[in-house]
Amino acid sequence: MFWNNVKIALRNLRKHKIFAAINVLGLALGLTVYLFGGLLTKYERSHDLFFANADRIVTIGSVAAPELNVGFEWMGTTFTAVAPIIEIEIKDVEAVARSIASEFLVSTGAESFYEGIRFADPALLDIFDFEFLQGDSNALDDPSALLLSESAAIKYFGRTDVRGEVITLDNEFDFHIGAVIRDVPLNSHFRSSLAEEFGIDFVVPVAAFKRMRDQEVDTNWSNLSLGNMTYVLLPEGFTADWLRAQMAGLYERLVPEDQKEVISGFTVSPVVEANTSLWDMIGLPVIDAVALLSFLVLIIACVNYTNLATAQSLGRSREVGMRKTMGASQSQLLTQFLVESLVIATIAMVIAIAALEMIIPVFNNAASKALSLDYLGTLPWLVITTLVVGIFAGAYPAWLITRANPIDALRDVARKGKKGTLMRSIMIGAQFAISAFMLASVSIIYMQNERVKDASYEFPRSEIYVIDRLDIEGISDKLDTLRQELEALPNVEHVAYSWQVPYEQNNATTGLLKNPGDEASEFTLMNLNMTPEFLDTYDIPVIAGRNLSRDIANDRRDDESTTLNVLINELALDKIGAASAQDAINMRFYASNPESKVREFIVVGVVPTQNIVGLFNQKKAWFYHYTPDGLRIASVRISGGNIMTTVDEIEKVWDRVVPEYPIQGRFLDEVFNDVYKILRFMNLALAGFAFIALALALIGLFGLAAFMAAQRTKEIGVRKVLGATSTQIARLLVWQFSKPVMWALFIALPAAYFGSSIYLNFFADRISTQLPILAVAGAIAVLLAWGTIAGHAIRIARADPVLALRYE
Amino acid sequence: MLKLHNLYKVYRTDEVETVALNGVNMEVRQGDFVAIMGPSGCGKSTLLNIVGLLDNPSDGNYFFFDENVAPYTEAQRSKIRKQNIGFIFQSFNLIDELTVAENIELALLYHNMPAAERKRRIASVMDRMGIAHRANHMPGQLSGGQQQRVAVARAVVGDQPLILADEPTGNLDSVHGQEVMELLRSLNKEGTTIVMVTHSPAHADYAHRTVNLFDGHVVTENTRAA
Repeated sequence: MFWNNVKIALRNLRKHKIFAAINVLGLALGLTVYLFGGLLTKYERSHDLFFANADRIVTIGSVAAPELNVGFEWMGTTFTAVAPIIEIEIKDVEAVARSIASEFLVSTGAESFYEGIRFADPALLDIFDFEFLQGDSNALDDPSALLLSESAAIKYFGRTDVRGEVITLDNEFDFHIGAVIRDVPLNSHFRSSLAEEFGIDFVVPVAAFKRMRDQEVDTNWSNLSLGNMTYVLLPEGFTADWLRAQMAGLYERLVPEDQKEVISGFTVSPVVEANTSLWDMIGLPVIDAVALLSFLVLIIACVNYTNLATAQSLGRSREVGMRKTMGASQSQLLTQFLVESLVIATIAMVIAIAALEMIIPVFNNAASKALSLDYLGTLPWLVITTLVVGIFAGAYPAWLITRANPIDALRDVARKGKKGTLMRSIMIGAQFAISAFMLASVSIIYMQNERVKDASYEFPRSEIYVIDRLDIEGISDKLDTLRQELEALPNVEHVAYSWQVPYEQNNATTGLLKNPGDEASEFTLMNLNMTPEFLDTYDIPVIAGRNLSRDIANDRRDDESTTLNVLINELALDKIGAASAQDAINMRFYASNPESKVREFIVVGVVPTQNIVGLFNQKKAWFYHYTPDGLRIASVRISGGNIMTTVDEIEKVWDRVVPEYPIQGRFLDEVFNDVYKILRFMNLALAGFAFIALALALIGLFGLAAFMAAQRTKEIGVRKVLGATSTQIARLLVWQFSKPVMWALFIALPAAYFGSSIYLNFFADRISTQLPILAVAGAIAVLLAWGTIAGHAIRIARADPVLALRYE
Repeated sequence: MLKLHNLYKVYRTDEVETVALNGVNMEVRQGDFVAIMGPSGCGKSTLLNIVGLLDNPSDGNYFFFDENVAPYTEAQRSKIRKQNIGFIFQSFNLIDELTVAENIELALLYHNMPAAERKRRIASVMDRMGIAHRANHMPGQLSGGQQQRVAVARAVVGDQPLILADEPTGNLDSVHGQEVMELLRSLNKEGTTIVMVTHSPAHADYAHRTVNLFDGHVVTENTRAA
């Protein structure tokens, strides 16, 4: 009996090839998206589980104090001073280790590259069981030892037996290689493409950091860099909650009072969450969104199938009638139809798996991930999905078709009557509601992301070449020479130095006083250290007063300065109490930090407000000053000529002036693209989902329109004989499907408005065209639906009426 | 075998009430060959549906082997139906997606019969109907007469004692029509009871007895000597 059912299912597929193709491919598409979404979600959520202690490793983060105003509620990092305290105060923990990320120039005799270095406590090697090719987990006990990954060893030496070889950091600090580890798999937060792109190729003891950067690590309560991690290995049988309670007590007793205004507590997260912590911090539920959207696409595909199968099954009511006459019970027939939909679901699943086998390698390559379709592990999931999809999608048509009594079935009453049309309309409506919702909300998200991009053009980002890492001792004393040589190049217009360039994320604020010594008049400004050429380089006009100058004594800060001339932007006017830009000139404000040598700032110029940090940040109030020993990045404005030639020339100048260090240059465009990466990924992923959803809905509508038109062939014939024109008939058919589509919009558009508003709330600078975009998206959905149906309707309406009548 | 007593069938829609059967009394004994005749709309098909347990009467009693089946539910009727009744339709009602053999098998599929036994019976009935060489053809590849033989084979393969034929020759030309009638006659001789609706007086002549229906009444009954 079962095989008999399978056989009939296959023959039915063969007989109705177009419907079969639409059914199978639609379902396969839905399954592919769903499975891919599922694999991706699972992949991102299962990082680091291969470490033996994975379930006992936690990371310590910080709850951002409300006063900090950084735009997220917590950070996956904390001060480096915290780990030593945990070690002393919480005796039960098995191990505590920090990892501080920093970039250095790495050289062996022949090769030198800038690399991410992790400065780690020796216990890191006890917490994570790396696989040692050479050396062992005591490698970091020696403060001048360095641990190397297998691929880094091959990159620098061409082999892995490199223990004892010497590596130099920043041309100054020598380390000998104490251990070589096997590369950590891609699905670890150490190498995650979501978190910090820092890798774990070079690990150096924390002790060396103190020496090299001349910074105290164990008592540092000021740096909350995202690259810095604090790991704790919980003792067997203890939970993260236990540590949370311990950390809460520790916060109360041991965090310095002034730091309590920065962080209002500690967080304790399992290491498995470290991979996605960046997105969790921003509060964008990207992974949940992927899971939800891929599930919605599957639902659309299922509804698609149900709808087509329902329409199609009505054509088989004679078969059902015959079987019932022969004594088949409803449950036997239900089984038959469910077996059929299971057969289709199985075929679709096989196609989906084949598609995934092709997509996954390409995706892994493009996104540097290591997704895999592990058949053994995912088999239960695949089988259950197939069963659920087959039964869910096939249940309604099976029930509908097998419900009729045998006489009605034999007479084909169902086919001629209105049976199921309401349900079909509801299904089309649901399908369109989901896809219009996706289209509309994705359009809004897309436009918002585009706006972020457009806003970034307020700086001439494609004409500026930035050179990073000028704050190294061997470079910073050559900046004047470098600037003069670069400015002499034919196509270089301006050269400016600054601490940061636009789009770099920065939340460092400076506390200032309106009145000297009056704590109550405190306010904060962001500050940008730059050379006077910065304004010309970035096309920033001066609205009032004048630009800073190299020739005026108080315009530049040196070791003796107590008074400093500065620029402010318009947003800062209010903060210092100025009524207008003109009014602000010569106004003063004062340092609130008693240790600061500079006590007084005098406004000499005002510039317009710009969104220097970009993305979701609000425009902020800034002041601009010129402090020659805090310059990190050069901005070289190039105009005219062949850009690549100019870049070559810049590099040549660099090699001549600073031969010891390779140039770290790139266009400002790339700086922007770096921070825009997440949004671009969203644009791509969301657009993909919306496209597939809409395509599925249209395919379904196409199939259904074809089917319903065939059903109404006789009616159409009669109407034509009675004098209806082709246009009237086409309109009739189009209208039949328009109603559910319109209803769908009533539900979808408000939902999209609501959903996209949540997203827009992340941005300070929002698009104002939300409603028009919704209207356009709705109109597009309706037009596409009409187009799809009309194609059919017109062909059928034009057919010879006699042909139409004879059809029955 | 069958006894119909004062049988009514009324179709109701919101506004119209149509009386299809208006107090029909009729009896069919085992081994009978009965033809039901009458003009379009006289209730022939309705009667056959009720006799075939595809439908319930609105009123009256229907004794099937001394059992009053009139109030039975579809599930109960289905059980009796598959044990006792084979159907032949004017439009054959073969399933296009199944081969000849599989179409015949359909009648055994819901009987909990082992596959080997089903095979044996199908082979034997196809031999009897002269369609053995067509076993693996699809219905669409056969002529009308051949299709109706398949339908007849399907009706008798389960050894049902009663065959109901609804204008079995209606879609056939005279030669093929006659063939099918011969087939029915020989089945009847072997002991199968047959009730047949027909428009053709010539084909009605094959029956022992003709019942004429008009507006839901039995008007005349003619019995022929066998």
